[in-house]
Amino acid sequence: MTLARTRNFSIVAHIDHGKSTLADRLLALTGTMDAKKAVDQVLDSMDLERERGITIKAHTVRLLYRARDGAEYTLNLIDTPGHVDFSYEVSRALAACEGALLIIDAAQGIEAQTLANYYLALDANLTIVPVINKIDLPAADVEGTRNQITEILDLDGDEALAISAKYGTGVPDVLEAIVARIPPPQGDPEAPLKALVFDSFYDSYQGGVVYVRLTDGRVRPGARILLMSNSRTYDVQQVGVFTPEMRPVDELSAGQVGYLTASIKRVADAKVGETITEAARPTAEAFPGYRDAKPMVFAGLYPIEDTDYEALRDALEKLRLNDPAFSFEPETSLALGYGFRCGFLGLLHMEIVQERLEREFNLSLIVTAPSVRYKVVTTAGEVQEIDNPSKLPTPDRIERLEEPYVRSSIFAPTEFMTAIYKLAQDKRGEHRSLEYVGRGVRIQFDFPLAEIVIDFYDKLKSISRGYASFDYEFANFRPSDLVKLDILLNGDSVDALSIIVHRDKAYEKGKALVEKLRAVIPRQLFEVAIQAAIGSRVIARETVKAMGKNVTAKCYGGDITRKRKLLERQKEGKKRMKQVGKVEVPQEAFLTVLKS
Amino acid sequence: MATLSRSQPELGARPAAAGTGLTGASPAPRPTSPPNVLAAAPSPHGVLAETAPAGRELGFYIHMPFCAKRCYYCSFNTAPMDAGAMLRYLGALHREVELLSTLPWAGDVTLATVFFGGGTPSLLAADEVAEILAALRTRFPVVADAEVSVECNPESVSREKFEGYRQAGVNRISLGIQSLDDTLLPRLGRLHSARDARAAFEAARAAGCANVSVDIMYGLPGLDLAGWTGAVQRVLDWQPDHLSAYGLTLDAGSLWGVTGVAGLPPEGLVVEQYWALARAATAHGFEHYEVSNYARPGFRSRHNQIYWRAAEYLAAGPGACAFVGDVRCGNAKPVPRYCETLERGALPIAESERLTPRQRLGERLILGLRTADGVPAGWLTERLAGDPARQGRVDDWERAGLLARTGARVALSEAGFLVSDALFVELL
Repeated sequence: MTLARTRNFSIVAHIDHGKSTLADRLLALTGTMDAKKAVDQVLDSMDLERERGITIKAHTVRLLYRARDGAEYTLNLIDTPGHVDFSYEVSRALAACEGALLIIDAAQGIEAQTLANYYLALDANLTIVPVINKIDLPAADVEGTRNQITEILDLDGDEALAISAKYGTGVPDVLEAIVARIPPPQGDPEAPLKALVFDSFYDSYQGGVVYVRLTDGRVRPGARILLMSNSRTYDVQQVGVFTPEMRPVDELSAGQVGYLTASIKRVADAKVGETITEAARPTAEAFPGYRDAKPMVFAGLYPIEDTDYEALRDALEKLRLNDPAFSFEPETSLALGYGFRCGFLGLLHMEIVQERLEREFNLSLIVTAPSVRYKVVTTAGEVQEIDNPSKLPTPDRIERLEEPYVRSSIFAPTEFMTAIYKLAQDKRGEHRSLEYVGRGVRIQFDFPLAEIVIDFYDKLKSISRGYASFDYEFANFRPSDLVKLDILLNGDSVDALSIIVHRDKAYEKGKALVEKLRAVIPRQLFEVAIQAAIGSRVIARETVKAMGKNVTAKCYGGDITRKRKLLERQKEGKKRMKQVGKVEVPQEAFLTVLKS
Repeated sequence: MATLSRSQPELGARPAAAGTGLTGASPAPRPTSPPNVLAAAPSPHGVLAETAPAGRELGFYIHMPFCAKRCYYCSFNTAPMDAGAMLRYLGALHREVELLSTLPWAGDVTLATVFFGGGTPSLLAADEVAEILAALRTRFPVVADAEVSVECNPESVSREKFEGYRQAGVNRISLGIQSLDDTLLPRLGRLHSARDARAAFEAARAAGCANVSVDIMYGLPGLDLAGWTGAVQRVLDWQPDHLSAYGLTLDAGSLWGVTGVAGLPPEGLVVEQYWALARAATAHGFEHYEVSNYARPGFRSRHNQIYWRAAEYLAAGPGACAFVGDVRCGNAKPVPRYCETLERGALPIAESERLTPRQRLGERLILGLRTADGVPAGWLTERLAGDPARQGRVDDWERAGLLARTGARVALSEAGFLVSDALFVELL
């Protein structure tokens, strides 16, 4: 197998434009798996991914293709995650490729993620092959889509392939285009090993299974490897390729894509972006852009039933094995009892973890308002990092508060510039640069992380009709005028509802919060006062009136069964409530904090 | 949880109608469910042969489904009045009484109450009621002072009919008047006027009925506080012996439950109506002995108290439900299917469930706490054992004056009645 007969590529697309269908077609056409099996879209293998229509973990598969020139090519299809929370993972997966198929729905045309993915692929210096899919649809407008490709993407629309992944029309040409248009990988098999980790997962028998793209050198079982970011060394146990099942091979060499195992105990020890080299003959330089994927957002996870605490801890342990960007440690809340402070990349990551805990581990959870990690300089001169607002020292002990800022890039068509600047201003963004790229703009802002973790991306998509893309990375901590906003239920502060906000936004936020809480807290036997306060000063108040009437008028004879069942159903609903003091607070109340 | 399963002995072609009562809301029956095993058994008694009463004195409920017109708020099992259907129904009813009396344990029970509910039982002629009661007396021992009630509508009664009922052995009349507002009555789908209601009440008295109850409703669309207090006052002036007052509920099985209805009073007003009645009835010497029921001393409904004490009762008629031992079962609701099954010689039981001890305790609590007598405090203690959080919430009810202990019993207050479902959710 020579480098000249290898192609590494990924498929990128707006959601539902047919990425998974095309991947299945390519697999079937190259005999990688039979057509029947291909019915299941193999690449999006987690249920959650399929439901949300997003890819969370990257996947990869090797296709063997005999091209029209008669030669057999190895095509490595590297799938990428599809959300801003995972943009770093996307960038690493793309860095493992030389080219990308950009799928565009012939009926929908270019959409937001088409553009965002296009920019990501451009950033990774990939050769982009535009593919117009769904030409079988009655509403398909192939010519219009070609024009869009030319005008919006600055690619040659006439060179776009027109296919129907659903019926297989034109798909053989896609394989030919991969061979003809995407350049083969470059690299020196004799040079010291240099491999990029672009994904990993945990296997209970083999430990961490690491997905690698080799740019130089070769690796075989028994080789002693060095991880450049943490200087750990391991002995390689197995190397292999994905067919898509894992299949061991004798060797992986420059330009190839595959996996290796080396008794790596936790996937966190070989993180995405890591450079692997030979221990005895290390490569000179690691891959640029390595980021230690660190949690950015923190929230408390509490079992609704206290008795589920141990089960929750076991489940968190299991998830952490497979998810290096996820962290947790025990914490206690006056309101919620025993739980865990968990760290996530972003909100989607948080929701995914929560859903997996509820679905795969059958746990009922309260998730508290997410917070970023603040830096506190106390009057005693100590520096503390606080990721739970309730742990903030009293104001008289705080010398200075600092909050994390991120550097962000927004790509968007120029027509949305005004709206984007306005949004950025609302979110305390600091403008850094503006450049025109193709037919759009790339604007850089610095934002307080707290302003963008919650709904910024959604708002950005909405004001740009979905066209803007967004990417960010941590920049630094900056002093900020922050206050702790407490929520009181009948006069008792509920620590799990406290948030840290900028002073200028405290009033507005407090007001919105108590209004939302009033809507979700059900009526109780007594009136419930909901207050937002800064220190001892109440800035907003709402009241949930006491229950007036909750009674079954008639209850006789056979109706008893029906009435009992109605009450039993209500009782099921009550299981989603957490008692805070005397007030029963539904699960969603805690998340209300972030949606107001 | 006990399985609620359908058993359709000797017949299963048509599905049971959905509606109130024991609907087949549960998932597919478990293979181990006893009623299912019985479905294949030759016994004409179905699940009732597989249980036995715990007590000796039982109530007997008779469902008479026919109505001249179905009221818009009604979710009970009714059928349009039809002379032929009525005749067939009466035949089937007699078969059912006969079949029930051949249950293996039938000889051990005595009937303490008989209740004709509906539907509109007062569409039955006096001799029809007499025949049914005679059949019951032939087949079952009946206690000497048994309470025998008939639900009546003002438009289908007369002094003569009441006299006939009395001669047949009926000693309690429950008169459904619902409202005394002549603009409101037709909006409820009622066929009588306020005057008709008054006349019916007077006819019952004139016929010598010494125990007459009146049903009224509040929370009705367009009913204001003055209208309600006026109606309550007028009804109290008639000096009935018993009063049932129901806050309107839009049940799924009613026309209004499906279509909705405009002009419903706000919750605050409904609560005021509840209290206005409670105050006025108490002032007239009535005891508020159940959430929706008031009685002069000695005039509580004995039959309905059987339900609230979670005691046992037999039943006959379409959709009628019995509770014997740990089994609650309900008859087929469609009148033709009810009749067909009996004509083939089998009890028309369509649904049944066997209560677990835990469910029984839950029901005893939520039914008993509907009454002013409440429940033995020990039942509550048993339910709350080992659950300090729940115990704490129930303690709050006491502190708030909604629940009170008197000696060895615990009961809801009148304020507690009004929010009782919130407590019952805790106790199930």
